[in-house]
Amino acid sequence: MNAVKPLLIALPKGRLEEELLPRLRGTAFELDARALKSRRLRIPMADPGLEAILLKGADLPRYVAGGVAALGVVGSDILDECPVELMELSDLNFGVCRLSLCAPDHTSLEQLKARPHLRIATKFLGATGRWLRAQGITAELVPLQSSVELAPVLGLADAIVDLVQSGKTLLAHHLVELTQLGKASARLVACRGLFLSEPERIGPLARGLTGLLRVPE
Amino acid sequence: MPTHTPSFPDLLFDDAARLRRWETLLMTHLGAAGYRELLPSLVMRNPDNPSTVRFFDGDQLVALRWDFTEALARTLVRRFQEPPSRLSYAGPVFRRPANSWDPVERIEVGCERIQVDRAERSEADRELAQLLMAVPALLGLEGCLLHLGHGALLRRPLEAEGIPADLGLEVARVLDRRAIHRAAELLEGLPARARLLAHAEVLLSGPDGPGCLAALAHSPYGSLLEAEAEQLARVCAGLAGHLPPGLTLRLDLGDLRGMGYYTGPTLRLWAPGAQRELAAGGRYDGLYPDLGRPWFAAGFCVRLTTLLELAQTKEGAL
Repeated sequence: MNAVKPLLIALPKGRLEEELLPRLRGTAFELDARALKSRRLRIPMADPGLEAILLKGADLPRYVAGGVAALGVVGSDILDECPVELMELSDLNFGVCRLSLCAPDHTSLEQLKARPHLRIATKFLGATGRWLRAQGITAELVPLQSSVELAPVLGLADAIVDLVQSGKTLLAHHLVELTQLGKASARLVACRGLFLSEPERIGPLARGLTGLLRVPE
Repeated sequence: MPTHTPSFPDLLFDDAARLRRWETLLMTHLGAAGYRELLPSLVMRNPDNPSTVRFFDGDQLVALRWDFTEALARTLVRRFQEPPSRLSYAGPVFRRPANSWDPVERIEVGCERIQVDRAERSEADRELAQLLMAVPALLGLEGCLLHLGHGALLRRPLEAEGIPADLGLEVARVLDRRAIHRAAELLEGLPARARLLAHAEVLLSGPDGPGCLAALAHSPYGSLLEAEAEQLARVCAGLAGHLPPGLTLRLDLGDLRGMGYYTGPTLRLWAPGAQRELAAGGRYDGLYPDLGRPWFAAGFCVRLTTLLELAQTKEGAL
């Protein structure tokens, strides 16, 4: 007899992980503590029919869209940069950040717009490009993966577009927020195929996770 | 060694044999019902869709066939004064997918019914639905779901509220992803926002079955959508009476994909574990009038590439 394979739930490593894992404690979705301390990336959950895979945010939507994981939790900033086909079932309303255009102290938006060759460093090329088009601004995008705040300090770019939560990192680098491009928060996503073809299996799990994770506004 | 591009997959022996077998089964099924094959050229002119595979033929921009229905329509309006009533087709289409790793080249088999007389539409819809419902058994698929939706359930409220067409399509796109929070962002600042979001809650909340349609009456647009609700109830009852064993009918009011294209109820066939629907179709009465012919049309296509993917992941299932 074939055993039913555990259903995989993709969870993000890093910023959202710290807020997410405590909310799962004491529930069917609680991650096995011993496996979590090991180097394993596939972690059993309290419900034997479920397993979590811990992934870097940028990779997570592909695992869900590809049907490897049935459900996942990922930041909307990542989703906006990653055009894949999946269901976005809920805004979980935690890990809330602003996506902002930031520049060195005493620089105004008008001054930036007036630059003949404006350079903006960012990890969020899609969202920044869309905002620039909507504003009618021409700029060169400098793609960076981390420590974006260094770019204007060291002269690689005139400004940055990055996620801002408390603003402390900006302050430490003498940067200020000029304008907000959007808001980011954690989202519950599902594989479209599994969600629509196996609603009795996926639907209750999705509702359960939303109930546990969603922070009231 | 040259690098293979997975967007244009080669089908080796077993997969090629499976494909030919399914194609033969389906074309025989359609042929027995009176559908005659039409094979439009693989090259189409005037491609205005950026997701097509385009290239220059001399100084003319052309594209590989991106959609059978449109290719058939272009052929028919050019060559027929009175349309043939039943058509079938089989072969590849080339369209860039939403997921970058999915194939650009996809193999389809499908059919279309064209009517000159408006009164013949219901009978044509019934015939197409019965042909589609027979597909899982023909292909040896078990436990399939048939989703019944209706894009007008969102289109009519959007039109009634004067929402611009582009914004309306964007709202439909995010609601098809079940992302009601994204719809809330898109509608920010509009007077109809609260009403449209309350309606979207009804569309996405279910439950499946008759309760689903009853809930529609409590939407702010309940009275506006009475005709659509009655039509869905009628279609649902009609299909339920002919459902083959092993196929489950499911009302899916959140199925808004193709809202700008389909003009009536839509059907999508799902198999457990499939990443995409195996077949999809409905009525698209706007297509031929846009090309200058007062004809009505409906049809469906079966996506053999999706079926192959399913066969590869569920060994022995097909």
